[in-house]
Amino acid sequence: MKSIVLSGVVAALLVFSGCSSKEPAVDTQAANSAQATTEVQAPATETVSSENSVVDSSTNSVSMTADEIQSKLPTVYFAFDKYNITPDMQARIDAAAELGKEDVAKSLNVKLEGNCDEWGSDEYNFALGLKRANAVKKALVADGIDASRISMVSYGKSNPVCTEHTKECWAKNRRVNFKLLP
Amino acid sequence: MLFSLMFADDATIQVIKKVDTLPTIAVEDASTDYDDTFRLRFFKSIIADLNVLSIFNVDRHHQLALFDDSDVNVADKDMAYVLRYKLEQDDNNALAVSIKLFNNDNVVFSKNYKVPKSDVYMFVSHAIAYDLNEFMGQPSVAWMKRKVIFSRVVKPKESEIVLADYTLSYRHVVLKGGLNLFPKWANKEQTAFYFTSLSGAKPTLKYVNIKNGNVKTILSSDGMLVCSDVSEDGKHLLLTMAPHGQPDIYNYNVQTHKYKRLTTYSGIDVNGQFMGKNKIVFISSRLGYPNLFSKRLDTNEVEQMVYYGNSNVACSVHGNYVVYTARETSNEFSQNTFNLQLISTNTDYIRRLTATGVNQFPRFSRDGDAILFIKNYKGQSAIGVIRLKYNKNYLFPLRFGKVQSLDW
Repeated sequence: MKSIVLSGVVAALLVFSGCSSKEPAVDTQAANSAQATTEVQAPATETVSSENSVVDSSTNSVSMTADEIQSKLPTVYFAFDKYNITPDMQARIDAAAELGKEDVAKSLNVKLEGNCDEWGSDEYNFALGLKRANAVKKALVADGIDASRISMVSYGKSNPVCTEHTKECWAKNRRVNFKLLP
Repeated sequence: MLFSLMFADDATIQVIKKVDTLPTIAVEDASTDYDDTFRLRFFKSIIADLNVLSIFNVDRHHQLALFDDSDVNVADKDMAYVLRYKLEQDDNNALAVSIKLFNNDNVVFSKNYKVPKSDVYMFVSHAIAYDLNEFMGQPSVAWMKRKVIFSRVVKPKESEIVLADYTLSYRHVVLKGGLNLFPKWANKEQTAFYFTSLSGAKPTLKYVNIKNGNVKTILSSDGMLVCSDVSEDGKHLLLTMAPHGQPDIYNYNVQTHKYKRLTTYSGIDVNGQFMGKNKIVFISSRLGYPNLFSKRLDTNEVEQMVYYGNSNVACSVHGNYVVYTARETSNEFSQNTFNLQLISTNTDYIRRLTATGVNQFPRFSRDGDAILFIKNYKGQSAIGVIRLKYNKNYLFPLRFGKVQSLDW
């Protein structure tokens, strides 16, 4: 009977687990730190009330005004499997464009984050999220916002605000968020 | 008769009934070390692997035996084959496994295996099944020994990339922190992979050498960037990216670092897959709904590939075969059904591969012998293996979060 040692797959896995897996993890943690800062703002924009904004504006006018604008930026929702903008959502985008023309906002850029519900496949969903962000971008540009101030990212279904399996929840996830960037 | 001969090798033709019956096999556990829980776990793994081979009628009773007994258990006298194995733990905590295969009370095959730790036991089980399949002279199941790489979202904007065996019972997190998605093997040897990082200013494609852990940045794009396919020789990538806000498919040359746009439709073009050297298959919304198309790279001729279903959202290609995910219900308000279908460019047949639930992420094995996919049904997730030749589906339950994307 010959004796063999399973080398191929298992050894590669073990070697990797033993020494090298740390590198990418460290690398992505570092790369992520910038993103983490902006993420902190995200829930704030949904929950900060106008009362807080008023209190804060007395302490630091420049940054607060930016925060204030961020807090007023809308969420744009979309129909199932669609990326066209409905009239009620167009009104939200028009209002966002007006905010973007405020003096303090002129030095700021905006990132449009496209998102989807849980239905649909991997890549197609990401493209759908991107088309949603791009539709909002086009509407902002039509409203007079300089295209160079706008960047986009699609998160597909990996950034849900709601994780229940209900129609209300799916509708909440088919959205574009505005993120102000310095 | 003529009909069956003509299409004997066409995988889109479903074999409904097999005339010949499969030889029986029983499994005898002659382990001396390890506790009952581990022994049973190993036994179940062996049984599952033998079933997936699809060449035996496998007896599922956990029977004990003495490894050196020259006879098989009395209960197994009528079995065509008996596999007897022994698990042993050596001084360094390595797992050693010895096997004997009996046929008519004669040992016809034997081998010893060893892995450094018992928690990778499933790789021994896959290797045993692979060897028995070779011994029986069946077409190779080398895919059993390959690694699966997948991403899972652990919370909003945070994911992990995980290495696993084909049943996903072994899992090793190789990348965590931030949102890293769409892992794709960079070469045949599975020594490196690409993935999309969404943690920086723009979606960025990165390359990880898993031998030394080095991470290289390949390129970035506004909006989205996904590596959909890697060419057979690893020198070209099909990327879906949107440098100007428009998701299209690009061919990226790994050596020159240059890319060429392959699709220009103003809607959605994604999920490009190489079909030979001169053609790609992809998903496009150019008819107003997602469907499969092919494009010849020399003549730019585009062809619709599927005339069935109104939402065909993802695909994987091997040779002339395409497996795709078809959304069979488009209901905004309830659970939807996604099934896998198989087509060939040589015939007009469509073979339905799954019947219920949400079946996604189909991926051909490198030799086209099997298809791996994820099934969600009634709140449960499983990884499925389809053996096309044998018309069999096998499911392995998953007990962790949802898979975002996987490659094999």
